[in-house]
Amino acid sequence: MTGLLRDLAALVDPRRVWGDVEDLVAYTNDATHRRELPAAVVAPESADEVAAVLRYANQRGIPVIPRGAGTGLAGGAVPVSGGLVLDLKRLNRILEIDHKNLTATVECGVVTGHFQREVEARGLFYPPDPQSLAVCTIGGNVATRAGGPRGVKYGTTKDYVLGLEAVLPDGSVISYGGKSVKMSAGYDLARVFTGSEGTLGVITKVTLRLLVLPPSRRIMIAAFPELDSAAEAVSALIARGAEPSMLEMLDRIAVTSLQRYLPLGLPPDLEAFLIIEVDGHPAKVEEDCALVAEVCREYGVHEVRVARDAAEAERIVQARRALFPAAARAAPNLVIEDATVPRTQVPAMVRAIRRIAERHQVLISITGHIGDGNLHPGIIMDRRFPESVRRAEQAMAEIAREALNLGGTLSGEHGIGLLKAPFLEWEFGEAGVSLMRRLKRAFDPHGIMNPGKILGGGTAGVRD
Amino acid sequence: MYAIDDFVGAIRHCLQCNFCLSACPIYREELVEAHAPRGRLNLVEAALVDQRVAPNEKVRRRLDRCLLCASCARVCPGGIPLDDVFLAARVELSGKPGAGLTERFVVRQVLNRRVTSSLLKRSLSLARRLGLAPSDIPRVASSSFTRRAPREAAPRGPTAARVAYFVGCGTEYLFPDTGEALLRVLPDHGIAVVVPEGQTCCGLPALALGDLDATREAIEVFLAVFAALEVDAVVTDCTSCGHMLRQKAPYVLPPDDPRLKQLRALSEKIFEVTEFLERLGVQRKHPLPDVKVTYHVPCHRGWSEGVAAAPRRLLAQATGVRWTEMREPESCCGAGGYFFLRHRDVAERIRRRKIEDILATKADVVVTQCPACRYYLQQALADEGPRVLHPVALLAGMGP
Ligand SMILES: Cc1cc2nc3c(=O)[nH]c(=O)nc-3n(C[C@H](O)[C@H](O)[C@H](O)COP(=O)(O)OP(=O)(O)OC[C@H]3O[C@@H](n4cnc5c(N)ncnc54)[C@H](O)[C@@H]3O)c2cc1C
Ligand code: SF4
Ligand code: SF4
Repeated sequence: MTGLLRDLAALVDPRRVWGDVEDLVAYTNDATHRRELPAAVVAPESADEVAAVLRYANQRGIPVIPRGAGTGLAGGAVPVSGGLVLDLKRLNRILEIDHKNLTATVECGVVTGHFQREVEARGLFYPPDPQSLAVCTIGGNVATRAGGPRGVKYGTTKDYVLGLEAVLPDGSVISYGGKSVKMSAGYDLARVFTGSEGTLGVITKVTLRLLVLPPSRRIMIAAFPELDSAAEAVSALIARGAEPSMLEMLDRIAVTSLQRYLPLGLPPDLEAFLIIEVDGHPAKVEEDCALVAEVCREYGVHEVRVARDAAEAERIVQARRALFPAAARAAPNLVIEDATVPRTQVPAMVRAIRRIAERHQVLISITGHIGDGNLHPGIIMDRRFPESVRRAEQAMAEIAREALNLGGTLSGEHGIGLLKAPFLEWEFGEAGVSLMRRLKRAFDPHGIMNPGKILGGGTAGVRD
Repeated sequence: MYAIDDFVGAIRHCLQCNFCLSACPIYREELVEAHAPRGRLNLVEAALVDQRVAPNEKVRRRLDRCLLCASCARVCPGGIPLDDVFLAARVELSGKPGAGLTERFVVRQVLNRRVTSSLLKRSLSLARRLGLAPSDIPRVASSSFTRRAPREAAPRGPTAARVAYFVGCGTEYLFPDTGEALLRVLPDHGIAVVVPEGQTCCGLPALALGDLDATREAIEVFLAVFAALEVDAVVTDCTSCGHMLRQKAPYVLPPDDPRLKQLRALSEKIFEVTEFLERLGVQRKHPLPDVKVTYHVPCHRGWSEGVAAAPRRLLAQATGVRWTEMREPESCCGAGGYFFLRHRDVAERIRRRKIEDILATKADVVVTQCPACRYYLQQALADEGPRVLHPVALLAGMGP
């Protein structure tokens, strides 16, 4: 046993410390193609254990990589060579669901989908729905500001964080915010940790805002012969007050691979498909359904249909969730982009992505939360071939640059992580990035927290 | 074929979404990604494809701590055949030392030979005394099923179908009552049954050990015994035999084997007995209105559409039992064939959840179509708890 493992075994139950390469390979990556072997994995069961491990790592200058379910799409949980992975999935208790205050307090490792089910069983509603919700954790969601299809109406994780507890690298524990829905005290430390991607400290506990579950929900699919008309229909829908709770777009490549997994009876030869959900009071839902159908027809829809029953609606939602992994049936691997633009720029962005695909000779499927301008181009590649990876990453860089040109942002919901760290200055300039660096130093003077992520400069992921 | 080279493409296609983690019974207990499906897949890739990790005993031990329940493969949207990859990895690693010698002996000399119950009992007790076998391995029935079963059972009334009965090792050695029930129920519903002589194991226990030769031997016997029969279907009462014979058997023979076509055709004809009965339609009723029944769905259900739905519909139609669903009827019981003998700790933790769910239903009978599940659950439910039976037992009027 190395000194590192012996030391860790003194801090937490030795059965929750792993150092064998046979165990570590399970921790080399998240849902991206970057891989790096850590030196050890530790699974703490309490904030105290997190603090003990951080204090130790801070003294020795050992890099620490907080990890939820490892489903990130930016490489945020990819280890640094010699680093220590902190597997937080055992901090998995829902501490309280407060019906009267409409809040819930959970540990960071609670699985998002599980939490939603528990909340909904009580007639309450936690809207953020990253499509990985069957596995991803609330801590990971907060650390990446995860969103999802419902973001178009309900916003993303960041809009639900009322307060949190976090452990700093020196082992001290801070707590900011709580059940009060208003707060104007001091710097908003909860906001700073939200989206920090493990670079400032470890979020151990979160207090979340809840809503009341809408009584009724309907889902529709609209198939358009052309992408532009679908995009225009989207703008028109929102302008006419339809307030959809989901407005997803899928292109032909995506629909083809999806239907291999779950046939939805969609015509394979059209260019764009919208999945539209409306929710609220039954009468309003009926009204919105009619409005959606009407607007789609005005914009030349080929076919628009409402899910017959709950089972069909569930099938559509399941299919949407399976969109990326289902691509495995057609593509070797996929880099999922997350560029986000103002809604009106969606058609321009789509055209730009197609140009980029052609220029780099890569296949890119275009899907995304079109209702809020958050596209998820899926760049198809084969991680076995360095040339293929290089072309994909280059296409990714150009898409990011194009999103910024159109007044958008590098990332709508996946975060910067490792993959987009080199582009950060494009969005924030030297002054912006330099302030972020100083902020990081104030929290983490020895730079042990997830080095290389967001701000770059680390060595992680340079080899496969 | 079950060689890692044939699965490299599948391994590389995995998009690493980690969705499969949510389905794995072992991960649910261990909460560590080394024991989640994606983690195992990446270990297989590192050790057997990229050779970044030596394919040693430690690798084998980790891959061995897997129920081969196929839950991961069932939820994978990318269609990655994870359990096939794990089987191929076991085959690949089986040449390495320490790979289950006792089990290998049992598979080759007992299951593939269909020795009599008494011989099996004698050798097991010897093995126990020598410390080669755990003390609580299943008790073998006093006389094996096929030794005393009739070779044929004629239908009552007009013949609706003719089937051959594949008698799995569970019915042969542990639960002959299931076989007796089946031979009563099928003829009752107008189905003629033959019980072919010379049949042996389906090969799954051998395959789980990575013993591809012994698996092939089992499949060859299956072909030799069943291929030439003029029947509409081959029925089995065991979901794992069906899983093996329908889905896995074709990967056991080399791709250029001339018998492959014949095997595929035969595989298509394999049916789980309750599903087969349900398709044909119920002819007779066995009212059991006072019995409260719950259903544990076996993990090996993905091989045929109706495996999980048939017992529910069939028992409702034919017996009118009081049906009660347990929480998570589809979650694993921890048995995993003989997994529970090799990994007691985790198997028992999985079973504990299941037992709680069963007891909460206050059912008199738990039905399930897998003899390993039946054995393992009954062991924990002991005498006071509900009885565990195959659904055909209820159709045969064998109540609690
Ligand atoms: C198929 C698929 C679909 C997806 N769909 C969506 C989607 O619709 N919307 C969306 O936003 N994302 C989506 N994602 C991306 C991903 O699921 C989210 O980013 C999610 O929030 C990650 O959660 P996790 O628990 O897996 O975190 P991880 O991947 O383990 O970690 C993500 C980052 O957060 C940090 N982190 C994790 N926990 C903590 C903690 N407690 N304290 C501090 N830092 C922490 C890590 O260091 C890392 O930087 C999808 C991913 C996949 C594979
Ligand atoms: S669910 Fe399928 S694609 Fe996703 S990680 Fe598991 S094996 Fe890979
Ligand atoms: S086969 Fe079952 S136990 Fe094995 S990895 Fe898959 S889900 Fe887990």
